[in-house]
Amino acid sequence: MRHFLRLSILLIGLFSGSSSFAADTLPPVNTADDLGPQVDQPIEFPHNRHAKDMGINCMYCHTYARRAPVAGIPPLQKCMGCHNGIESVKDKPRIKELFKHWDEKKPIAWKKVHDLPDYVRFNHERHVKRFIVQQDKPVQEVCGYCHGDVKEGTVARRQKPLSMGWCVSCHEKAHPTDKTAQATAQGPNDCWQCHK
Amino acid sequence: MIENEFNRRDFLKVLGWGGAAVAVSGCGFTSVQDGVENVVSYVEANEYMIPGIGVYFNSTCAQCDAACGITGKVREGRVLKLEGNAASSINRGRLCGLGQAGVQAHYNPDRVTEPRTGKGEKLDWEKALGQVKEKLTGVSGDEIAFLTGNLSGHLKVLLGNYMDALGSKNHFVYDAVAPAVMRASNKKAYGNEMPALRLDKAKVIVSFGADFLGSWVSPVNFSQQYAQFRKGVNNGGRGVLVQIEPKMTLTGANADRWIPANPGTEGVLALGLINALGAAGVSIPSDIAASVSAYGVERVSKDTGVSAEQIQKLAAVLKERSPSLVIAGGGAEGYAHGSQNAAAVALLNQVLGNVGKTVEAPSVVPFPQLAPTAGGTAGLKAFNDGLAAGKFKVVFTLGANPVYSAPAFMKLADNLKKAAFKVALADAIDETAAQADLVLPLDSAMESWGTVVAEYQAGDAHIGIQQPLMERLYDNTRSAGDILLSLVKQQKADDYKAFEDYYAYLRGAVVQAKGSLGGAGMDDDEFWSTVLSSGMVKTGNASSSLRTSASAVTLPAAAVADAAFPLRLLPYVQPSMRDGRHANLPWLQESPDPLTTIVWDSWVEMHPKTAAKLGIVEGDIVEVTSKSGSIKAQAYIFPGIHPDAVSVPFGNGHTELGRYAKGVGANVFQMLDPVFDQETGELAINETHVKVSKTGKRVIVVKEEGAAGGSQAGKKIAGRLASNNVDLSKEV
Ligand code: SF4
Repeated sequence: MRHFLRLSILLIGLFSGSSSFAADTLPPVNTADDLGPQVDQPIEFPHNRHAKDMGINCMYCHTYARRAPVAGIPPLQKCMGCHNGIESVKDKPRIKELFKHWDEKKPIAWKKVHDLPDYVRFNHERHVKRFIVQQDKPVQEVCGYCHGDVKEGTVARRQKPLSMGWCVSCHEKAHPTDKTAQATAQGPNDCWQCHK
Repeated sequence: MIENEFNRRDFLKVLGWGGAAVAVSGCGFTSVQDGVENVVSYVEANEYMIPGIGVYFNSTCAQCDAACGITGKVREGRVLKLEGNAASSINRGRLCGLGQAGVQAHYNPDRVTEPRTGKGEKLDWEKALGQVKEKLTGVSGDEIAFLTGNLSGHLKVLLGNYMDALGSKNHFVYDAVAPAVMRASNKKAYGNEMPALRLDKAKVIVSFGADFLGSWVSPVNFSQQYAQFRKGVNNGGRGVLVQIEPKMTLTGANADRWIPANPGTEGVLALGLINALGAAGVSIPSDIAASVSAYGVERVSKDTGVSAEQIQKLAAVLKERSPSLVIAGGGAEGYAHGSQNAAAVALLNQVLGNVGKTVEAPSVVPFPQLAPTAGGTAGLKAFNDGLAAGKFKVVFTLGANPVYSAPAFMKLADNLKKAAFKVALADAIDETAAQADLVLPLDSAMESWGTVVAEYQAGDAHIGIQQPLMERLYDNTRSAGDILLSLVKQQKADDYKAFEDYYAYLRGAVVQAKGSLGGAGMDDDEFWSTVLSSGMVKTGNASSSLRTSASAVTLPAAAVADAAFPLRLLPYVQPSMRDGRHANLPWLQESPDPLTTIVWDSWVEMHPKTAAKLGIVEGDIVEVTSKSGSIKAQAYIFPGIHPDAVSVPFGNGHTELGRYAKGVGANVFQMLDPVFDQETGELAINETHVKVSKTGKRVIVVKEEGAAGGSQAGKKIAGRLASNNVDLSKEV
């Protein structure tokens, strides 16, 4: 039953795209089993250490998010920028692994955990501008709309369905156009915005 | 309500998607992948490299000899898309479809990736080059031959040096569909092989079979000039285009008048026009006037099949709209008297006073050593004659596929066997590489360094720079420059020891001449990076001039037709297939021919009347037979062709060249008759006579043209184009 309902919501999203169907009240489709599988990474990267304990801005490392369609995985150089100077953890296995890659100038082959199909063009820059720049919302909250509460986890894991119906559920909501304005606007619902 | 068990799978079944678990995965929940693909971050990122954002590099298109400038979009280290380089005076930011497909040549899955022997054993480079050296030992220079396509720039210099080092004079340059006859006749008429044509300045253009919008010489440049010509930018109003050709090309389809003169009578028509112009009061030198006096309107009309009225109108248009421009292209040249046809057209230009106005002295790169060596089929014939006589022991090929494109009467494939050691420098296993004893795999044009000088220079003379747009896809391919440098090092190690690779050689050469290349006062690195970022070096023009004095042209009497082969074969140089070297690029196979809209195949184009006489309908598989060979292909009925001719495009019918080319269509090269232009020795590609018969099979022609269009015949579309009854002079 649950499965079927989910699909039917998707189909409604597909076939009655711009109808007024309870858009504003519908919560984004997000149930527990939308959590993606645990994916083994070459280095078990602790997001909680960086984002929560250290309070580092997401975009300090994922710096491309505000400039490009993809957020990007930080270059090793970036990791080294800090870790070169952090003596306390230098002998930890994960950091040793990091230094090994750096010394060998060997890039790390991470596994993608948010791999959309090729016909979907998600654009980080647009979303960062809309919510962080225009609405002045906290970075972690905004990233969390799609990536969940990253600061509570270690290795990144998909938290949301990232399906079309799910995207549309948010695009159909009325979002304030900036942090003070009363005016609201919905996300685009033209096919070509995402499917080019 | 729906029961609990009615889960997604059942739901799919209801909708007809059952059984195929992934069939609708694109709709949502299963399409996001977790942990399947890798994302590899940079170790150290360049400032300008942002994932997801393109970086652009300039280079030079290597898909044909026009050498347009390209700008490649590179993202995450991979080249994705090519555009024209706006700074190039040849293509000014535009690119043709063939050029676009350059990326597909690069990513082609059928590229050769390792040096290999004729038996297909893989070798490393040291062994491969060692084999060449070994096979050359004890072989005299006369016994070595190198067949290439058109070459220019430093590659040409290196090859020249290599041949010198070997003591060989046997460098043959071969281009199967070259304007070689025109070069020779231009040289004679104007004192220059490739004058600059100013289509934009002409008030009327009469083109004798030059498909300058499709495949002729420098189509992207001409297309832009043509747009200006039509808009009246430099010629004071919309220009009139008249295309005289028995097989309609893209240019013919764009013309105001398409006139299918009898094949081979272009020269007669040109002389007839001179005569008519004289009669209309245009001043013509007396010796010329005397030489064309036999070409009265009646006779010309009879020979050419063009009505007397239309000849008069054409003369009137030419007289009143000055400056004009007349051009002779492949359609007029491919005859035993092709040189005379081209000369007659050049004479018409001279009589009309176009030389110096619409036919200009070209820009010339002032480094003759880098100038292109442009060949034709005469180079192939000489190469083949040498092979047939058993003169060559070691044979190299680069940028040429003679086993595919040599006519069968040459027996080139057999003759090639007489050479003991054949080395093919190739990016894919084509018909020639398949016969080689050693295949040296080439980098793609997106991976190579090079300098290119276009034969047709428009605007400022420049050298095009070819630079890699990305890293090699395969570790064991090498650029032609690197291979030649290694080979020449085998012979003259000392002279070249300063150059570790072709890049070093090229950079050294360009930087050394920076003083005369606009880089005086810059340091080497600065100059070199300017060169790379612009993708070209402007060289300044060497002076050139054109002769304006005209001399008379005599045409031979028309040959008598052979009743056994009543139709003339007019092979078609298709804009994207050209001589067939790119038949392995699916984009080109998939892009419809501009006239017939046919994809992925060859066809036999014939006039509705001819088809009706033979009882042929569209899709009939017909056999076209000449004295020298035959092919089978689907018939396409089209009013844009002379009723006494049939046309088959070049380019398909490969027996090698990978999965996309092999077995597609028919190879019309191999059935050409052994007739040559009498002055230049070029193969006369329009001199093959054929008969057409039905095989009894019929197919559905795969084409873009809608079913309702079916054929344009009877729809009063093309019929109007061919009409002789339109009053052209009213347009003046
Ligand atoms: S005309 Fe030739 S050089 Fe120019 S873009 Fe087309 S294929 Fe490339």
